[in-house]
Amino acid sequence: MTKLLSILSMVLLFTATSALAKTFKVATLLPDGSSWMKKVRSGTREIEQQSNGRIKFKIRAGGTQGTDQVVLSKIKRGQLHGGALAAGSLTRFFPDLQVYNLPLTFASYAEVDYVRRRMDQTIIDGLRDGGMVSFHLAETGFAYLMSTKPVQSVDDVRKLRAWIPDGDPIAAELLKSFGVSPIPLHLVDVLPGLQTGLIDAVAAPPVVALALQWHNQLEYLLDVPLIYVYSAMAMDERSFAGMAEEDQRLVQASMDDVFEQIDRENRTDNQKAFDALLSQGIKVVKPGPDELAGWQDRARKSIDDLVRSGEISAGVVETLDGHLRSFRALPAGNSD
Amino acid sequence: MKRHMLLVACILCLGGCTNLVSGITSQMADDLAVSILNSKDVDTVREAIPAYLVLIDSFLRRSPDDVDLLMAAAALNGSFSTLVGPERARLLSGKSLTYAHHAACMHDRQLCDLDAVTFEAFENRMSQLSARDVEVTYALGVAWAGWIQAHSDDWNAIGKLGRVKSVRERVIELDETWDNGGAHLYLGVLETLFPAALGGRPEKGRGHFDRALSLSSGRYLMTRVMYAQQYARLIYDRELHDRLLTEVIEADPVADGMTLTNRLAQQRARELLTESDDYF
Repeated sequence: MTKLLSILSMVLLFTATSALAKTFKVATLLPDGSSWMKKVRSGTREIEQQSNGRIKFKIRAGGTQGTDQVVLSKIKRGQLHGGALAAGSLTRFFPDLQVYNLPLTFASYAEVDYVRRRMDQTIIDGLRDGGMVSFHLAETGFAYLMSTKPVQSVDDVRKLRAWIPDGDPIAAELLKSFGVSPIPLHLVDVLPGLQTGLIDAVAAPPVVALALQWHNQLEYLLDVPLIYVYSAMAMDERSFAGMAEEDQRLVQASMDDVFEQIDRENRTDNQKAFDALLSQGIKVVKPGPDELAGWQDRARKSIDDLVRSGEISAGVVETLDGHLRSFRALPAGNSD
Repeated sequence: MKRHMLLVACILCLGGCTNLVSGITSQMADDLAVSILNSKDVDTVREAIPAYLVLIDSFLRRSPDDVDLLMAAAALNGSFSTLVGPERARLLSGKSLTYAHHAACMHDRQLCDLDAVTFEAFENRMSQLSARDVEVTYALGVAWAGWIQAHSDDWNAIGKLGRVKSVRERVIELDETWDNGGAHLYLGVLETLFPAALGGRPEKGRGHFDRALSLSSGRYLMTRVMYAQQYARLIYDRELHDRLLTEVIEADPVADGMTLTNRLAQQRARELLTESDDYF
């Protein structure tokens, strides 16, 4: 009888665990084997262990589930539960997250850090209200304009044949606001495009230019951070809420930890990559005060347009501007 | 006069003796490389190589510009760098690359300073190479790739990948059969570093892996390992991944000049196959 009970309870325990066990399928464009993915996989293994197998992750890396937009449709249909995605692709859940992506907003990483300490939570909360649970936001870095000809002023940039990612209307609008006719190309066609002269300029973070060997075809870098780019690991809120509260806390804490590390490492990588670009022969062009004012004037007009068209709220832009004003008023060396 | 003759004889002998020593040491270095590559015993080789590295350095003190000796030293340092921890790998691959650059420079002046010239000048020089340059250029490509691998956290090293790729492409144009199609294997890896969505060209990589397999008649087992690790994992093809690795494990590793690497390939194949469930 006792033996029978034990067997029965074991069977019950097994079925109970199976019923509660949850496998999250998440996708990303990032390649497996990258330091990002190593960290994400180590984080998910830790979650699996600490939850005694109740929570598992199946990660599909390297874009095998399609672009960010396709991944989001699959999340909507319930075929996937989440993804590590470029923040720009999540605007439908919370349009104001674009506030960090506004052109020429930040002059330095110190400004980014000051603002992010004060606004990241607003973005995370906004996404949650929109139906996506996200974790610590991860910096991709500043995108710089790199070209085959020296560029200093807005007039110079108008003469460029500049690349934008295929199917990225926001980037297209942005370049148009600077008077540039953008040339959309798939990422894989950028290097041949530079080699054949189809394009003569790209805007990208230094790590991207180096990793894809674009730097070999470029000569100049305009030392003005054009856009701040970041990413987020986001999960469908309904799937997330399907976990026990204890498991939700575990996933939240582990993923926050993983993406905080990634956030920090990306900063260091981009700074090293920037230096490496210079040592590989790329020449830095610094615009003079008048040219810089020209750039900022254009950028401000493009931000005003975005607000007017309802792409982003005036309130969030004002909040960010307020933080920047406070930071810029601080005595030098004080960035808290 | 007699004294003068003696001096001339001494100078002649000095030159001749140096050449003689150099000839012997080059041959010895070559024999050594062949013995190492044909060894079935990875551990013995791992323990023995340091002594030979010291020996070959001493040969180079006498003949610092001997191209064959420099290439042998580059190969030996480079091979050993893959068997040690990251710190030593950085040091040894650096030595390997220095020797390979010097060998290239001694072989032909247009191959000097390849690291420092602009990319455009680099490509111009590559385009001027001929079949007689394949051996030294290929050796440089191997050493360079090994150095980048050992310095993969250094963006300056990553920035040189385009040059390594250019070297490989030129070798393929001049003689794709060199080293059993080794240049195809390297290009297979380079094309599959990133998924298509991030600028990689997995299908092009697959073509290079297939060609490398065909040119080595399938005897070089590391090709299958890299095919599985780079391509099959990148596109999530478990059937291909597990099949390639099982073929490696079941194959006879003994093949002229490939035995040691084949043994290493079998070790790596077992590791990758163990991770298969977790990965897919």
